[in-house]
Amino acid sequence: MNDLEFRQSSPLSLGVELELQLVNTRDHDLTRAASDLLSFLKNRSYTGEIKPEITESMIEVSTGIHSTYDPLVQELRSIRDTLTAATETLNIGVTGGGAHPFQRWTERRIFDRPRFRHVSGLYGYLAKQFTVFGQHIHVGCASGDDALYLLHAWARYIPQLIALSACSPFYQGVDTAFESSRLNAVFAFPLSGRAPFVLKWDDFNLYFDRMRKAGIVESMKDFYWDIRPKPEYGTMEIRICDTPLTVERAAALALYVQALSRWLLETRPNQLTEDIYLAYSFNRFQACRFGMEGELVDVLVETRRPIGEDILATLDLLTPRVKDDGEAKALSAIAAIVRNGNEARWMREQYNLNGSLPDLVWSQVRRFRGEE
Amino acid sequence: MHDLFFLPSWPPSAGDLFWYGALLLAGEITGIAVHRWLRLPRLIGWVAVGLIVGPSVTGALNQQTLASLSGVLNVAIGMVLFELGQRVDLSWLRRNPWLLGTSILESGLSFAAMFFVLRLLNTHPLVAAVAAALGVTTAPAVVLALVRDLRAQGQVTERMLLFTALNSIYTFITVSILLASLAREYRGDWISILGHPSYLVLGSLLFAAVFASITLRLLRLLGHRQESQFICVIGLVAVAVWGAIALKLSVALALLGYGTMMRTFDTERHFVSLNFGRVGRIFLVLLFVLTAASLDLRLLPAGALGGLALVLARFAGKSLGMFALARKSGLTLQKAWYLSIGLLPKAGVTIILVHEVNAMYPQFGPALATIVVSSIVILELIGIPLASYALKKSGEAFEEGQT
Repeated sequence: MNDLEFRQSSPLSLGVELELQLVNTRDHDLTRAASDLLSFLKNRSYTGEIKPEITESMIEVSTGIHSTYDPLVQELRSIRDTLTAATETLNIGVTGGGAHPFQRWTERRIFDRPRFRHVSGLYGYLAKQFTVFGQHIHVGCASGDDALYLLHAWARYIPQLIALSACSPFYQGVDTAFESSRLNAVFAFPLSGRAPFVLKWDDFNLYFDRMRKAGIVESMKDFYWDIRPKPEYGTMEIRICDTPLTVERAAALALYVQALSRWLLETRPNQLTEDIYLAYSFNRFQACRFGMEGELVDVLVETRRPIGEDILATLDLLTPRVKDDGEAKALSAIAAIVRNGNEARWMREQYNLNGSLPDLVWSQVRRFRGEE
Repeated sequence: MHDLFFLPSWPPSAGDLFWYGALLLAGEITGIAVHRWLRLPRLIGWVAVGLIVGPSVTGALNQQTLASLSGVLNVAIGMVLFELGQRVDLSWLRRNPWLLGTSILESGLSFAAMFFVLRLLNTHPLVAAVAAALGVTTAPAVVLALVRDLRAQGQVTERMLLFTALNSIYTFITVSILLASLAREYRGDWISILGHPSYLVLGSLLFAAVFASITLRLLRLLGHRQESQFICVIGLVAVAVWGAIALKLSVALALLGYGTMMRTFDTERHFVSLNFGRVGRIFLVLLFVLTAASLDLRLLPAGALGGLALVLARFAGKSLGMFALARKSGLTLQKAWYLSIGLLPKAGVTIILVHEVNAMYPQFGPALATIVVSSIVILELIGIPLASYALKKSGEAFEEGQT
């Protein structure tokens, strides 16, 4: 048996990955520019990491490991500035957002790398439809058991993150009526959804081994779960968020995840049973479709309330335990999202100004740069 | 016979409508054939049809018919230049000034190289200067048609469009000024020396500015309805072409300026970026067929050597310009190489300028035509496939069945 070794990492440390869109400056459709951008950056020095993603219209940026808000947001801003400068030189635009509002997936092109070609060969049109953009948040864990505990404890809170980050209301040129349409594209994959309910790392290894022996997966990368353990980093990775329109929001979401994870690990509030997943798909749908107004059902304590309300209640639990100014700033930013509406709402408002999706994308580009 | 008045006379004479239909049909079918069996760009098929119906091969399309079809040809040229203009983002030059440097270098060096070669061939200095200036421009129609056909995106593509727009502007302006120098040599009155180029250049640009601001005002009223914008803009482009001809301005400069200014003045983004799409394709086919039909292949034997020398000099100048600042402007050397090849196609449309020179100064026409026509023919035949190859090899083309 070839065990997955869970590499220990500093508990509650954070790492953020953002998948970003590359658009042209003419009509703001997605454009195939990743290779050009990456070869432009190749001989230049910058902080963070900038990598290709499955299609030529996407890139992924990632930060180093941080434990507090200020260094995290500073690194994200520095990566953003690197990208802004490079894209100005190359005449392209870079933006956040969970999905491009009007791109046609048939126009996409797979980035030339063996793994991406494999995925494209296996999944056919799903691979190109997967031109959606997410934020991944890594939380460091002391052990595989902690990672699994966090993973399942977080299942109840996933709708909050969906509602907070949702910014893909438009897809393929139409208003989908969803706040986050991106997650529907993820759902089509056979290995998407949630991790199996195991709480011990050894049990997870047994599961993984069976899947591998059965020829269903080759590595952890083949699982497209909402939350998955990442043993080689020693983290739990939350992959549910749409990429926000600003790096500041991305940092605030990461800090919220950190604060809530800390509370979960320290207080271990609920006895976890597989019952937590009874309402999982329902809650997830409610969050994608209705955002803050969606209903969140907590099966364990038998409550049902709007997601926005649930976030504020959670913040009430976290605020007394705030560890520094940065975290306080981040948590009040989260409260502000609940009060003022998420970015899906901002996008619809922006679109309603003149009914032009290209203009919407342009305002997203400016927002990402920090100009709006 | 009187009772059969309702029957047509036989054979019927081929009217303009017949020619439009027949040339479109022949162009498209040959284009597909060339693409399918020879794996060459469709454009080569369109050019081939033009050469075959032209005066030098079958003569099916004589000068007179060509002249009567020139209305549509002018609109086609206008649309191509307008579309190119509005695709080009001049603010990019501000954000990446090395691009302006590259553009000036590639145009300047290719002009100098061509001028030098023509002087070696004992060409009259002014003729050499006009021929070299005509050679600076990359063919806007070829570049647009290839980018569209191959659905190309990326730095080679974007820069190819930008440099083509810029070197076309340089050509149109330089040729206007040189024509005035020709006037001094042959007419000698100062009014035509100073007046003519200023009228052509400044008049065309002013005309473009007026049209651009009228159009933007109209589009503000229309809102972002793509269909209406599309139809209105086509209408306006046709009127602008007519206006430029009526005012004896440079159609090319006026329409290219019109498109560019539309983009530049549109700070509130009223203008939905246009792609003339299927309608544009109809005009493109006619444009290629008709310009190729104006090429007289009989000049080729006499001008082949000079033409070839001109082609090589031009390529040397352009690629030197591309490589000099490639790294500084953020381009890999490999892509700079593909870009140099991409800028090869020479504008068949310049043949119209040659004819204009011919009309105004008949003494110079033939000498100029021999060399310029030869270089155009060479570059229509090798430049188009090479540019297409460059877009594919650079990985920027998007072909059917590709992942």
